[in-house]
Amino acid sequence: MAGATIWKGSIHFGDTDVPVKLHTAVKEERIQFHFLHRRDQVRLRQQMICAYEKEPVPAEQQSKGFEVEDGKYVIVDPAELDQTAPESSRMIEVHEFVKTGQIDPIFLDRLYYLEPDMQDNQGKEYSALVKALKELDVAGICTWNMRKRSYFGALQAREKMLRLNTLRYADQVIAVGSLDLQDVPLSEKELKIGSELIEKMAAPFEPGKFGNEHQKKLQEMIEKKARGEKIAILVPRRLKPTESDQLLQVLEASLKKAA
Amino acid sequence: MAVQGIWSGTISFSLVAIPVRLVKAIEPGRISFRLLHSKDYSPLARRMFCPEEETMVPRDEIIRGYEIVPNQYVLMTDEELESVSPERSRTIEIVDFIDMKEVDPVYYDHPYYLVPSKGGEKAYRLLVEVMRRTNKAGLAKFVLAEREYLVAVTSRDGALALTTLHYSEEILADEDLSPKKGKTAAEEQNRMKKSIERMIENFDPGKYADKRRKKLTDLLATKAKEKAPVEAPVVEQEEGAGPADLVAALEESMRKVKPR
Amino acid sequence: MSRTFVEMAGRRLSLSNLEKDLYASYGFTKAHVLEYYRRIAPLILPHLKDRALTFKRYPEGVEKDFFFEKRCPSHRPAWVKTAEIPQDDGEQMTVCLVNDLETLIWAENLASVELHVPLARASSPETPDSMVFDLDPGDQAGIPECARVALILRDLLSRTGLASYVKTSGKKGLHVYVPLNRKETTFEDTKTFSKAVAGIMQKHYPDRVTARMAKKERDAKIFINWSQNDASKTMVCVYSLRAREKPIVSFPLEWRELENPAELGDPERLQVTHSEALNRAEEKGDLFREVLVKEQKLPHL
Repeated sequence: MAGATIWKGSIHFGDTDVPVKLHTAVKEERIQFHFLHRRDQVRLRQQMICAYEKEPVPAEQQSKGFEVEDGKYVIVDPAELDQTAPESSRMIEVHEFVKTGQIDPIFLDRLYYLEPDMQDNQGKEYSALVKALKELDVAGICTWNMRKRSYFGALQAREKMLRLNTLRYADQVIAVGSLDLQDVPLSEKELKIGSELIEKMAAPFEPGKFGNEHQKKLQEMIEKKARGEKIAILVPRRLKPTESDQLLQVLEASLKKAA
Repeated sequence: MAVQGIWSGTISFSLVAIPVRLVKAIEPGRISFRLLHSKDYSPLARRMFCPEEETMVPRDEIIRGYEIVPNQYVLMTDEELESVSPERSRTIEIVDFIDMKEVDPVYYDHPYYLVPSKGGEKAYRLLVEVMRRTNKAGLAKFVLAEREYLVAVTSRDGALALTTLHYSEEILADEDLSPKKGKTAAEEQNRMKKSIERMIENFDPGKYADKRRKKLTDLLATKAKEKAPVEAPVVEQEEGAGPADLVAALEESMRKVKPR
Repeated sequence: MSRTFVEMAGRRLSLSNLEKDLYASYGFTKAHVLEYYRRIAPLILPHLKDRALTFKRYPEGVEKDFFFEKRCPSHRPAWVKTAEIPQDDGEQMTVCLVNDLETLIWAENLASVELHVPLARASSPETPDSMVFDLDPGDQAGIPECARVALILRDLLSRTGLASYVKTSGKKGLHVYVPLNRKETTFEDTKTFSKAVAGIMQKHYPDRVTARMAKKERDAKIFINWSQNDASKTMVCVYSLRAREKPIVSFPLEWRELENPAELGDPERLQVTHSEALNRAEEKGDLFREVLVKEQKLPHL
């Protein structure tokens, strides 16, 4: 079952208008913990403390500042911030279409499912769009304003559905060049054995195979402690790194092992 | 030394082990503000506060607890937490190599980069190169902080990128959202295809800027010109404050200083 | 906008608007600023290395608006080194590290006339490498008064066993640095120590020195700003230009220069211009080198 409708909009380009409802696609499960005071186990609260008075400051006495110079701030009030918010509109404007292969996955942020908003002749336009996107293997690059924020995203088709995947802005993606990686020469043999090893370890993507085991083990550990049982402290083992001059041998041994 | 890391450990596939560090791949786009005390503009800091004793609590007095029954907690130290999945807290073990095309984008969570630690540069480069040649990605699980992630390790532009993925149990179904009817006329279908084809371009994300961020920057520039920025007051403490030994020693030294 | 491309250390850099006047009344263009920094690079780079740079940009010249940038501009070239500095709200901020000539030139191309850096290095932002005394003259005081206070300060410090080094701020004041260079030092230590020293100085020379920031206290006194000893504060880097009418440099002085009354008589004498800076540097080398290497421990804490 998909999540509830979080927003309604209409995809627009040329003469086409497809009203849709947005749904979240993911529901994260997590064991929550709280921070406690060691001596009496009282649950602690996060507070904004004044650096000088060392006293908590309630929300009404807080102002938002942007540091323009060392220790000097420009104050913005909520009304001014609101004014910078984009005008609300229900339009998801498609500016262009691009081949899906051109979108580097690193730009993909959050995905929303789109449900046809049935005012549109029973989803015909919606289905036509799905079919067209699939046949041309393209995604629509669009912008929209949702809940006072501007978004930029890719409209994609999968099976019978349309999805909207928000994209990160170009200046948010850190270029590989800034990592300062060294260029290290590799022998053709190392590359060949390495490639063979990967092919040997190739498998189809079966996400169902993977469950959150850590979560279950954590739950067990918590229950054990609650019962007053002792738990063993295991130290994480660090693997010994493969020496550069041993690389070829280790690759060959791995290949043998995988066969 | 360039970028500091979020995590450090080893990435392995079969018998090959590569020491690496995990670093950011994405920078936040937002303009960050500082919260200030309205009355005198002193900067505020986030601290842990004990509501019973009404004091701030220093880091070494803070412990993590899981609520099993209302107001009853099971305490957990950092070592105990690392003991839950010890192998996976320090190692990203690639168990399968997959074709990323098989991964539905709905699975993608957050990207990072891996950079080699000292001694791992060659093995790192090998993995980058062979994944590029075979067009495959490594699938692994690892534990970061107290969470275990399913991750895809890919070769990107000469580096290893690590993307955390959602678990299949966390992906919501979408069957109930699909259109019920709707077979479109061929003519209608063609019109739409042509409409789309006319708008095909090359993907250039640089064309799109965060408009709100720009508006905010402009607002801040205008405000900075209109009015002088505010400054927090410097703490005025009582005179003579300072450790007794230090003050005494300074007084002693002062006596010997040449008059000028 | 005009563009010139240069190659440096195998890296391509695009320089813009080289003929733009940055010091209009003096006739100093961006090209001149770049040239100064290129020539002073061997001396300034060790003092900038691995420190979170705060840009102070004057795109329209020193007489117009400036803006301050702590976050490393996202449009930087891929080869600019960066570091992550944790902030109070738990987030990390990406800062630029000027570790080589190309990055210095890139920063200057952005008209960052002044370069400001923290007292700690980016890899250990809570460990100051030196303790600083920022001597700031009140409206009716000047460098001569400042020099006298600096000499007393240096004397006091040396009697507690600490060597100190002085540079001009490039404006009206002087900066006295006490190198520490030990990983155990904290800002808590340097703040406590410098505050106590400022207090003692004020106590013994009340008509010449104040340890209080309130502007009305100053007039003809020298304010010893001990509060600069903080992880969040920055100081103008030695050898940086200052945005004043003339291209004056924050330049290290020998203590004996302050001791000569003839020198002090002429306040202009201690204002080191860009050309003088280059000449002196060629002659004497880096007078501030000890600030980077000397290890000292704060006593009596």
